[in-house]
Amino acid sequence: MANNNSQQSGSSPPPKPWERAGSSSGPAPFKPSAPGSTSDVVEASGTARPGEIVPPNDASTINTNSLGRPVPSRPWVQQNTYGSTYGGYGASLNYNSGYAAGTGAYGSYGGYGASGSYNTGLYGNSMYGGGYGGLYGGGGGMYGGGGMYNNSFGNPMGGYGMGMGGPGGPYGGDQDPNNPFGAPSSPPGFWISLMRVMHGVVTFFGRVAVLIDQNTQAFHMFMSALLQLFDRSGMLYGELARFVFRLLGFRSKRNKIRPSGPNEPQNYIEPPKGAPTGSWDGVWGNNTHN
Amino acid sequence: MPMFKTPFNGYSVKFSPFYEQRLAVATSQNFGILGNGRIHVIDLSPAGPIAEIAAYDTADGVYDVSWSESHDSLLIAAVADGSVKLYDLSLPPTSNPVRSLAEHTRETHSVDYNAVRRDSFLSSSWDDTIKLWTIDRPTSVRTFKEHAYCVYSAAWNPRHADVFASASGDCTARIWDVREPGSTMILPAHEFEILSCDWSKYDDAVIATSSVDKSIKVWDVRNYRIPVAVLNGHGYAVRKVKFSPHRASLIASCSYDMTVCLWDYMVEDSLIGRYDHHTEFAVGVDMSVLVEGLLASTGWDELVYVWQHGTDPRAP
Repeated sequence: MANNNSQQSGSSPPPKPWERAGSSSGPAPFKPSAPGSTSDVVEASGTARPGEIVPPNDASTINTNSLGRPVPSRPWVQQNTYGSTYGGYGASLNYNSGYAAGTGAYGSYGGYGASGSYNTGLYGNSMYGGGYGGLYGGGGGMYGGGGMYNNSFGNPMGGYGMGMGGPGGPYGGDQDPNNPFGAPSSPPGFWISLMRVMHGVVTFFGRVAVLIDQNTQAFHMFMSALLQLFDRSGMLYGELARFVFRLLGFRSKRNKIRPSGPNEPQNYIEPPKGAPTGSWDGVWGNNTHN
Repeated sequence: MPMFKTPFNGYSVKFSPFYEQRLAVATSQNFGILGNGRIHVIDLSPAGPIAEIAAYDTADGVYDVSWSESHDSLLIAAVADGSVKLYDLSLPPTSNPVRSLAEHTRETHSVDYNAVRRDSFLSSSWDDTIKLWTIDRPTSVRTFKEHAYCVYSAAWNPRHADVFASASGDCTARIWDVREPGSTMILPAHEFEILSCDWSKYDDAVIATSSVDKSIKVWDVRNYRIPVAVLNGHGYAVRKVKFSPHRASLIASCSYDMTVCLWDYMVEDSLIGRYDHHTEFAVGVDMSVLVEGLLASTGWDELVYVWQHGTDPRAP
């Protein structure tokens, strides 16, 4: 198997096995292939849209889910209506950088991000809703960190910015966060990095969720194996501890019980302690005797 | 046949259409959840271990690779950061990747090169879209957005330069023509997510889909109300399905049940081979176009096996 069948670079590969055989079963329901290169063919058909970037939650996406069956929800996508409306915030670098700069401004914006829509819109949809909501609501909600989030990634998560955008016009007047003179332009390193970490967390859970999605049964197997392992390890540590105690000269419970023999004596001791229980104990016995 | 150990978890393996001994392997660190990725190009030798020809590191996991059908040294990778990267083996490692196409907004999950016209390829992504790219352009030619959930795989029809199929988590498989504005056919193929699809190489209207419901279904697109065959036998979700390039009814599949299975969908007892050599999820399988019966598989156990059908993959 040396390079005996090597081809010239740029040439076509050896003919495919199926090219020697004819199509077996009647005509296919496809239009005959058009001549020319792929890009020419697509452009001739008028369907070409070069470099189109589809934001997630794109409203223009035709939802042709013909099944009438709900599709699984994605943990990384927020199911809100803000996404498309306010997604543009991410693109506006000025807006966000101004917003992110300066700690002095934060206090005055406290209220915006804390709006309920921030949490619910953003992460409320997924099974991780609780965890995420708490996580981001606290950090980002304080000053609508979403805008900054968008800025740093310039990315599809347009919805992040809506926490502050929602109310509309909160930036009028003196508190305009875009005002470059209003705030010292310190590099927002910490928050950017924090948001990056958050982004990583979202990606992480997104991928874990898709993997679980793809294989519910295997995940179940994994979890039960894990629980079994914990179970076993608990027993293991118990045994280990007992062994260590024995080495140290302590007598474990089991050794203490053994001299006292089987449990019967304890049962004999019990009845005299409480007369009422004793009387109840006799109820069935008496009946049977009668 | 020897095996090859990769440092990361295997995700996909593909035979070169040019050289019978050459394969490309896509791997991802930490099961593709978090971390880097690496693409290995390996060569089989008649006697002795598998030799690594090249390896390329990426900043995120690599979920799929596809060989170019027009250049023997060109390799396309689907990277988890949403980019599609092109590597040229003939160039030094420093000048690779030769191109990084970043348009998908979520993880890219599969790439497939057009074997008929040989100038374009498809990428499918978790952002619900499929993108069509040509070798000579820095941006995608067009985007197919109809699926309502992650598109796990897209595959060109081996006989029609303009037709391809896609498999998605929205429980549908769709047939597309690049000249049409929308999909030409919607197959509600399974009750659960569809993870993979592939065309028959000998009947251009036959397609196989594999799903989380543990089954593989074979469909004739001319009559898609009922499947031609339903192949049951995997214990967990079927991750990849692949038609043989040599035999019309032979199908290979790999699954989260850690096995690689071979099927003949035309016969009654369709399961004709089961290989349980992987010790973790088997997620990548391929059949050689140049050598009949030669199979390759990879999985999360960080091993790549190449073996002849009927032999033990673990045999030295």
